[in-house]
Amino acid sequence: MIQLRDISKSFNGHEVIHDLSLEIPQGQTVVLIGPSGCGKSTLLRLMIGLLWPDKGNISLFQQDLSKTNVEKLRQQVGFVLQDGGLFPHLTAVQNMRLMADYLHHDPKKIEHRIAELCELTHISSDLLKHYPTELSGGQVQRIALMRALMLDPQILFLDEPLGALDPLNRVSLQEEMKSIFSQLGKTVVLVTHDMGEAASLADLIVIMKDGYLLQYDTLSNLSAQPADPFVTEFINAQRKPWQLLEDQIK
Amino acid sequence: MKRLVTFTYLLLSMLFADIAQAESASEIRIGSKKFTESVILSELITQHLQNNNVSASHKDQLGGTRLLWNALVQGELDIYPDYTGTIIYEILQGNEISSDADIKAALAQYGVSMTDPLGFNNTYALGVTPPTARKFSLEKISDLEQHPKLKFGFTNEFMDREDGWPGLRNHYQLPQTEVRGLDHDLAYKGLEAGSIDLIDLYSTDAEIAYYQLSVLEDDKSYFPDYRAVILYRTDLLDRSPGVQNYLAQLSGSISETEMIQMNSAVKLDGHSEAEVAQSFLNIKFNTLSKIKVSTRLDRLIATTSEHLFLVCISLGAAILVAIPLGIWGARNETLGQIILSIVGIIQTIPSLALLVFMIPLLGIGGPPALVALFLYSLLPIVRNTLSGLTGLPLAVQESARALGLPPAAQLRLIELPLAARSILAGIKISAVINVGTATLGALIGAGGYGQPILTGIRLDDTSLILEGAIPAAVLALLVQWSFDFAERTLLSPGLQRKQDSVS
Repeated sequence: MIQLRDISKSFNGHEVIHDLSLEIPQGQTVVLIGPSGCGKSTLLRLMIGLLWPDKGNISLFQQDLSKTNVEKLRQQVGFVLQDGGLFPHLTAVQNMRLMADYLHHDPKKIEHRIAELCELTHISSDLLKHYPTELSGGQVQRIALMRALMLDPQILFLDEPLGALDPLNRVSLQEEMKSIFSQLGKTVVLVTHDMGEAASLADLIVIMKDGYLLQYDTLSNLSAQPADPFVTEFINAQRKPWQLLEDQIK
Repeated sequence: MKRLVTFTYLLLSMLFADIAQAESASEIRIGSKKFTESVILSELITQHLQNNNVSASHKDQLGGTRLLWNALVQGELDIYPDYTGTIIYEILQGNEISSDADIKAALAQYGVSMTDPLGFNNTYALGVTPPTARKFSLEKISDLEQHPKLKFGFTNEFMDREDGWPGLRNHYQLPQTEVRGLDHDLAYKGLEAGSIDLIDLYSTDAEIAYYQLSVLEDDKSYFPDYRAVILYRTDLLDRSPGVQNYLAQLSGSISETEMIQMNSAVKLDGHSEAEVAQSFLNIKFNTLSKIKVSTRLDRLIATTSEHLFLVCISLGAAILVAIPLGIWGARNETLGQIILSIVGIIQTIPSLALLVFMIPLLGIGGPPALVALFLYSLLPIVRNTLSGLTGLPLAVQESARALGLPPAAQLRLIELPLAARSILAGIKISAVINVGTATLGALIGAGGYGQPILTGIRLDDTSLILEGAIPAAVLALLVQWSFDFAERTLLSPGLQRKQDSVS
């Protein structure tokens, strides 16, 4: 579904992605994880042409990503940012239907799709007439997810979608996303630095450090057969609070 | 950018070329400088031509000698009155010209003819109040040499003219250093108030008698004769054959006493120049000119429509040019810097200078004023468009691109609506500045609220000054309010509630 071959990327002469290759199969949820500055967000932006690699190439749906087809390909991909990236001058529903209106889709079908998505994300349709500044963080992320799903894309990219939420909202939306992803069966690439989130959502996990791909595998394989001491270190560093409590009691 | 500017320039010049041609086909245009005597003389010429069924109009109080002369040579004007001394020293710059025949020969090179003198001599002179004259025992200009501390206040034109202060200082070896340039009509006020000790005078000024000023004798005969004459374009002879005769009828018809009386009727007794000219012609030629007696309301309507015309056209053109420039600049940082520097430099040119620069290109009246106002309106709009677009949050910019909108649609649907507050604020600043700056348009014959202000300063008539100043202030406020209203109604409510999320 998504292929990256020998990708390198520099900013101001400083290389942040080194000769990286990766293949993401259809229908899987793949989580890119690693410490801050490991290049995971850069990698996600390369996949949708928000950045261009210095070397190597990227293909989506068996088509090489280029400046001539990037807009067409983006329309088949949904994208959600950490703080939603909703347009503040448009209401929630205007944000959602912007692209469909621009592409002159049938208004009836648009209405129908909006109702479908409201059901999927448990958003009340009353909320849709509000502007982003009037919505809570969790609501903004749900609307952003709905906007990303509006054209029923095959691929969904999420850049730390839960990063700006408080812990309670975070857990509930994480659970919801898990259920949505399994219902839709889309190819999902999600960037996070939270191992718990990765463990809960991912079919496959990409562990990155300093612009290198360290290991790409299932959680159980990462745990059982770490390719690098850092993999174990990274997994273990993100223990749950109750584990810390256990350690103290011992 | 260059193409856009050239385009606008062409558009404006075409628009006004039409208007100008429509006028010039039938009408003879008489100009006057911005002092009372010149306005009276031009009014007199205009009425005299009209009384003889020649279509003529008076473009009053346009500016100084240079401006009027250039306008005459370029055909913006057909006729204006001037003085022999001024023609020799200021226009022809001197050499070997003394007789009227010399002057006529030199003027012919420019396609300009001169009538015989009108009869009076209005020379420059220096004047002090009687107490100052007594205190420093001043009788002659050479007496000034002993009193270097005296403060001089001269008209700006006198300060620079070859036959003005620079030549006078050399001729008499005058030591004074505190010499200021100021408006002639304000100079009398300054003299009376004691803030200056000595001013330049026109010998036919009504104020000399009114303030009982002591006129210093030009004992080393520095000042030449300034006999009033009428300058006209030689091609008038073909275009309007009778005119030369009518102008000739005025030669020798005005004595020095009569000119002083007319000046004093306007400046001290508050009659209009038109009335004064009418009664003079009535006595001399037994004609009765039709003059328009305009009420304050008539004038207000006229100046308002002129002012609105200047502001709306120049601001409209500026919006059409500046927003694309800002968008263009936002796309490329280097280009943005270049664009901002260029419009920034334009902004630093003093408005009066910019107006005068435009005259050789566009003549006098509306067109140069419009172009100058247009240029002044660019910077705030360009800067606010550019900063509004480049200041958008990264998340919003990324989202717009990631949706798959082409650049033009991103601009139209996302970026411009989000930058609208900033752009609107830029237009508001431009509009308010424009309303104020447009008052200067009167200096080059574009009319507007500057006209009554200019006349009011000249005639020392506060109510006339307010007739221009109050509407200008009210208009500026109205502009401000209507933009505030537009901001509330046009901007998306999503941008109103929490301003810090954008901008």
